[in-house]
Amino acid sequence: MSGILDGITVIDPSLNIAGPYCTQVLGDFGARVIKIERPGSGDDSRKWRPPEWHGESTGFLATNRNKQSICVDLDQPAGQEVVKRLVRDADVLVHAMKPGSMEARGLGYDELAILNPRLVYCAISGFGETGPWAAKPGYDPVIQAYSGIMSVTGYPDRPPARSGVPVIDMGTGLWAVIGILGALLRRAQTGQGGRVGASLMDTGIAWMAIHLLTVLAGGKPPQRLGSGVEIVVPHQAFRTAGEGWILIAAPNDRLFQALCEALEMPEVARDPRFNANSQRVRHREALIALLEQRTLARTAEAWVPVLERAGVACAPIRTADQVLADPLVTAGGMLVGLGGAAPPDLRLINLPVMIDGQRAGRLDPPPKLGAHTDVVLAGAGYSIEEVAALRAAKVIG
Amino acid sequence: MPDILKGVTVLDLTQNIAGPFCAQLLGDFGAEVFKVERPGSGDDARKWTPPAWHGVGTAFLAVNRNKKSVGVDLNAPEGQEIIRRLAGKADVLVHSTRPGSLESRGLGYDHLKAANPGLVYCAISAFGESGPLARDPGYDPLIQAFTGIMSVTGHPDRPPARVGVSIIDMGTGLWAFSGVLAALYRRRETGQGGKVATSLMETGVNWMSIFLAHYMGAEHIGARMGDVTPMTSPYESFKTQDGAVLITAANDNLFTNVCRALGVPELAQDSRFNSNNQRVVNRPELHVLLEARTSRITSDECVALMRQAGAPCSTINTVDAVYRNEQVNAMGMIRPLAAPHLPDFKTVDLPVSIDGEKAFLREAPPALGTHTDEVLGRAGYSADEIVALRARKVVG
Repeated sequence: MSGILDGITVIDPSLNIAGPYCTQVLGDFGARVIKIERPGSGDDSRKWRPPEWHGESTGFLATNRNKQSICVDLDQPAGQEVVKRLVRDADVLVHAMKPGSMEARGLGYDELAILNPRLVYCAISGFGETGPWAAKPGYDPVIQAYSGIMSVTGYPDRPPARSGVPVIDMGTGLWAVIGILGALLRRAQTGQGGRVGASLMDTGIAWMAIHLLTVLAGGKPPQRLGSGVEIVVPHQAFRTAGEGWILIAAPNDRLFQALCEALEMPEVARDPRFNANSQRVRHREALIALLEQRTLARTAEAWVPVLERAGVACAPIRTADQVLADPLVTAGGMLVGLGGAAPPDLRLINLPVMIDGQRAGRLDPPPKLGAHTDVVLAGAGYSIEEVAALRAAKVIG
Repeated sequence: MPDILKGVTVLDLTQNIAGPFCAQLLGDFGAEVFKVERPGSGDDARKWTPPAWHGVGTAFLAVNRNKKSVGVDLNAPEGQEIIRRLAGKADVLVHSTRPGSLESRGLGYDHLKAANPGLVYCAISAFGESGPLARDPGYDPLIQAFTGIMSVTGHPDRPPARVGVSIIDMGTGLWAFSGVLAALYRRRETGQGGKVATSLMETGVNWMSIFLAHYMGAEHIGARMGDVTPMTSPYESFKTQDGAVLITAANDNLFTNVCRALGVPELAQDSRFNSNNQRVVNRPELHVLLEARTSRITSDECVALMRQAGAPCSTINTVDAVYRNEQVNAMGMIRPLAAPHLPDFKTVDLPVSIDGEKAFLREAPPALGTHTDEVLGRAGYSADEIVALRARKVVG
């Protein structure tokens, strides 16, 4: 997909995960992304460590490739002026400030659209830009709690658990990408930019769409089921010999029979307590205990080929290092080194979508703080003297 | 947002969740979506009940608005011919059949692009279209297990847990949709369509980006931490008098606000806690100190105090509380969308707006085969031909 957004320039004063992930995807699609950071300290996520890699937070490294870093103090009028100058020649701006704070700095959509009517302006907020909670800060776990995701994640005899992956942050970044692509498509026809809005809360509600419809339909609020699902049994993790767990799914009676045969307990499939999915849902605990007696006899690695031969869907529950050791993951192009001046062991996770067999068009390593301030300002027409004066006044860094 | 894809025609050969969600998004953005279903039975997800609403599975209803339903048997040669005719005039085709099975019916990308070079063809698979597992089936929980997501979800003293929402299925639908939008954007310059491909597995690996970076960079293998986020502190839930609240302080300022709200401002200066790095290292001590304060008040009192201090905090809501929540409703996320066969139907809107507008919610999820005659008629089939095809059960 190299080149799809070639020639598109993105001004990115966002920080943490959602905004940076959005602009990383735009960069992956070919756009030039100018990341604007606070002089001296930069994006908060640079400090989210341990763990770290080459002195930089791995959370930051995972969401900031394909960008140039420039340091500009947005609290100073001269810094606000730098952003306005950059916006004149830009196509997209993505920010994740509290609603109202860009406007207070003269950097709201209405002001910037006068300078550049083709600008696509994307505002990412915590709880939306209107309503009683608009000013409240939001972060991934807060929204996982607020939107109900935690209430359906984890085991019923333990407190609600968080989705270990930041599905609110990364999901919001992805929704923002979609809004921006939509607005760019429209601009190609009308010549006009527009204002895209996305929020962490709205993303949480969208993830919950299926559960919400269940409640709307008069059902009970869904509960935590650990690794299982409400309406199909067995469809969950089982203990095995050794450390590992295996996830086994038998979503219909035929597959359940095949599973019982593979586990060498064919009589269980004929047991009237278990011979239909509705019966298995009713006698969930008894059945799981019976099946687990068998799965404990071998390791997860030993069970996978046995169950696969029987046509039963299964997967070992893997940790991050095991995922990386899988040739399917590495050979498929999902894991890539960066080449060039990047540290040789620095590798990143590519996009999960291909166009004409290609993933991200280019992969520049996540930038050092302020590495591109001079070159970007020179490109915007600032003279060497002006750049030196702004640096002395700590407007840039 | 309604007009962005106006005039774009989508042929949707998907079922279950991922593909239908992608096609629904195309419809939300204004495209006309023809959902092709097996005559008689239709999309498997129609029958995923309970829970049901007016007799239809709620999961189906969540991902099939803004579509027309057309019943065509893809195993019959005449049915394959109908798809070829529709694809000849379509802008986008989305399918989620196993790799190779559309090709064996003469409906692969190479077959269809000859007649329609502008076609954007999107293939959604479980494990990708090549490699040793290409033909294996995949389901959301399996891929959560396979890609390590379950290994970092749940509590350490329990087996790995599944994320309770379909982040693999719906996430894959989102990635497919962003690929289709990008390909349409490219097409406006080149006139050429292209092939978009994504899979459940690739989506899962990408969701794991940060954990994989932890491992590649620091050989740190993420573990289950219940409600805790590994690289920031405090970023977890705290017991209150009547339940628990989630508190996150992603930087030192927010941490100062949290300490002020809880009446322990001295903790913000304490050398064990005055930077995120220190707080992550000394998380257990900090947790006990903060919980000593939160456990004296109710969850609602805690949220109010934090809001006043500008610190991020939420109660841990159940689904029904989310549905009733005033901020959720202020943002217009849940809207009625009436249809004769689904009285009182409501649907969850898109979490992204353009110029303040969200999706254009035109049509509720269709009853099976509602639009077969209309769509075939527009593709040039005569009324007699349609009657004959219906009699042979090629369409329904």
